[in-house]
Amino acid sequence: MSVMDDPAAPAHGLSARQMALYRFRRNPLAVIGALIVISVILAAIFAPWIAPSPESAGSFVDFRNRHSPPNWQNLMGTDNVGRDVFSRVIFGYRVSLGLVVGVLGVAVPFGIVLGLCAGYFGGWTETIIMRFTDIMLALPPLAMALAITAVLSPNLINAMIAITLLWWTWHTRLIYRIVKGQMNEDYVEAARVAGASHMHILFRELLPNCFSAVAVKISLDAGFVILFGASLSFLGLGVQPPTPDLGTMVATGSEYLPEMWWQAVMPGLAILYAILGFNLLGDGLRDMLDVEL
Amino acid sequence: MSRLLDIRDLCIGFDAYGQHRRVLHNVDLHVNEGERVSLIGQSGSGKTVTMRTIIGTLPMPPGKVEQGSIHYNGQSLLDLNKQDRNRLKGTGISIVLQDPMLSFNPVLTIGRQMDDVIRYGDVRLGISRARAERRAHMIETLKKVQLTDGARVLDSYPMMLSGGMRQRVLIGMALLNKPRLLIADEPGTALDVTTQDEILALLNRLVAEEGLSLLLITHNLGVVREMADRVYVMERGHIVETGTRDEIFDAPKHAYTRQLMAAVPPLYGAGVKTTRHEGTHPIINVNAVTKTFETRSGWLNRVTGTFRAVSNVSLTVQQGDIFGIAGESGSGKTTLAKIIMGLTKPSMGAVQIDGQLLDGFAGTQDFRKLIQIVYQNPGSSLNPRRTVGDQLAVPLKFTGFDKTATKRRISELLDLVELPQNYAAMYPHELSGGQKQRVAIARALSVNPKILVLDEPTSALDVLVQSTVIDLLHDLRREFDLTYVFISHDLSLMRNFCNRVAVMLRGEVVETGPVAEIFDTPQHPYTRALLSAIPVISPEEDARKPKVSKEERAAVLATSTELEDT
Repeated sequence: MSVMDDPAAPAHGLSARQMALYRFRRNPLAVIGALIVISVILAAIFAPWIAPSPESAGSFVDFRNRHSPPNWQNLMGTDNVGRDVFSRVIFGYRVSLGLVVGVLGVAVPFGIVLGLCAGYFGGWTETIIMRFTDIMLALPPLAMALAITAVLSPNLINAMIAITLLWWTWHTRLIYRIVKGQMNEDYVEAARVAGASHMHILFRELLPNCFSAVAVKISLDAGFVILFGASLSFLGLGVQPPTPDLGTMVATGSEYLPEMWWQAVMPGLAILYAILGFNLLGDGLRDMLDVEL
Repeated sequence: MSRLLDIRDLCIGFDAYGQHRRVLHNVDLHVNEGERVSLIGQSGSGKTVTMRTIIGTLPMPPGKVEQGSIHYNGQSLLDLNKQDRNRLKGTGISIVLQDPMLSFNPVLTIGRQMDDVIRYGDVRLGISRARAERRAHMIETLKKVQLTDGARVLDSYPMMLSGGMRQRVLIGMALLNKPRLLIADEPGTALDVTTQDEILALLNRLVAEEGLSLLLITHNLGVVREMADRVYVMERGHIVETGTRDEIFDAPKHAYTRQLMAAVPPLYGAGVKTTRHEGTHPIINVNAVTKTFETRSGWLNRVTGTFRAVSNVSLTVQQGDIFGIAGESGSGKTTLAKIIMGLTKPSMGAVQIDGQLLDGFAGTQDFRKLIQIVYQNPGSSLNPRRTVGDQLAVPLKFTGFDKTATKRRISELLDLVELPQNYAAMYPHELSGGQKQRVAIARALSVNPKILVLDEPTSALDVLVQSTVIDLLHDLRREFDLTYVFISHDLSLMRNFCNRVAVMLRGEVVETGPVAEIFDTPQHPYTRALLSAIPVISPEEDARKPKVSKEERAAVLATSTELEDT
């Protein structure tokens, strides 16, 4: 018998990527999630060109048009100084996504490295890293963020720092658990027998096996970071006016509830839309990549 | 004779990734009342799909019955509604699954799990019994599977029982509601060969005493020979041959059946190949090695006991040997391999490889160029997220090969293990089991070691694939003058592959010597018990196996019928 016609060879002739894409396409909610996320990202990138009234993003004032309800001119109405809410929502996505990129760009690599080290080295390294992670997890996140922004003066960068300081812990725990499981696989020992260095085993052997879980986690995280940032802004500790931010818009708009509902509800719906997109995408990715979180 | 189970012209297909694929092709199979029928085939041949269709656990969709019928006792199973079909489970058709550990819920007592089986069976039959009555019935049933201490077994949790006892309980569970047809899916495969022997004997006795019919699904021809009146051979969803046991074993007609028979390594007789080699200088010296592990439990993880995995083992492997280390699970053979590889430090004793003591030598570049290891399961020893080429490059990278040299060596290695060059870009899941093991062998050979430790390198493979891998190992040894340390539980394979063997029992080497000597005139009762338990495929081999009395067996082996005292 030749090597080629081994009866246990995988069938249906599809590559792993094709199979994963197939599973993704068969999940309508995931596709909707992906479309939403793409629309949010495009809106953020091309905001100055898409927004019907780009000047509304700044300290533009048009008192003749203030408090006008949604109409064809202003799809989401105007706010208390006459700025177009729809345009501000589009620019608001810029701030939100900037926050997501800033926070996850720092927190995820940091959390991954700590998780890899804790799981791989074990012993004291594991005890110190994981107990520290546990302590960080025990701090109530919103209270902690309030404390940090209050001390450092409230602005976007400090809100980002506050969220980052709390966010890495989840990734450390996730990666730690995956690595602990992978340590039972023979390929780790095989790499050691082959003479591989610790760096090689950590980043070339173990890390690729964490990627799918991290991808799913990042997607789900993005929604939460947006929500968290909006919460801080709502409390006045995040982005400061006149920069358009969804949380701040809900906060100022809420003063005019219920009569001029659109000023708070529309930015609220915009937050919901983005988070829904990221969560649907995350769930879809989870099914597609077949990971457990 | 009436047909209890009658499958006619069964075709089953699966929808996967937008494609439809037929996996069973016009299967005809029947089991007569009181008959023992075996369905044999390699992995992926469709035996499990057949079994699951019979008991109605095949997920549909994606599975689909395209044509054909299954009749049980005259009723058409595929036309029955769900309720009526469920009524047959356990009461008409019962099943014993392969893995006695996975088949239990670990947090419930055996008694609770058996009780559930009775109660649901009773509900289906529309009767109800009192608790004490049910318990009496359970103890009665456990007696049938030779577990005399029924009350204690019932109060145990699955982890407290040995593998053999769990398999007995599973069989007992299958019998609780007095089925007429028992389907056994690889009932001994997950067990040691001596335990498997006991379980097969038990099944045979039950079939005779309880008037059961048996459909046995297995990949092991030796098991079929001991367990079947009639045999079906399945290949890629087709029944390629059927006949009585003697017809199949004495005069196999289909080429595939003959191929299967030829691939099974014979234990005795003319077909045995003896590897001869007289080494002149020792290359591995294991000197009085002992490894103890501490068991910790309770408060503050205190040491509560010690366990000797390897106990005072001394071995000498000569240059060019294929040295077999035989033993069942828990015998310490893998620990010994890890000690030789320098991955585990012995508690006492010393190991010399090529004249050098392991201390300080293990893990160095020179050591890696001397000795390498091939693991049992290539699914685990290859990183699923790295390409074949990347994985072959690892040992090279850390022994100072530059980029072009690495590339050249990878292509040489693929040639050596007879894999096409384009496999370097593939991921392990795109390869079959045998191909993966070839990659693992190539990786071990990449830096030209003199010794390979082979830790059950073929036990995860089908017998046909196994024979191709063994041929490859023979070729490589000849070409590069390699020394093998071959760890296995498969004695038939060792008889044909190794030139010397050591037999291990509970951490000790009980017997060692040239392979022909050990197999033809085994001295230690454990070796004799081990050899006698191997299911073989010809009467000649059966006749030449050592005869072991019950008392002799009991002296060296714990039976799977007694609970250990705790």
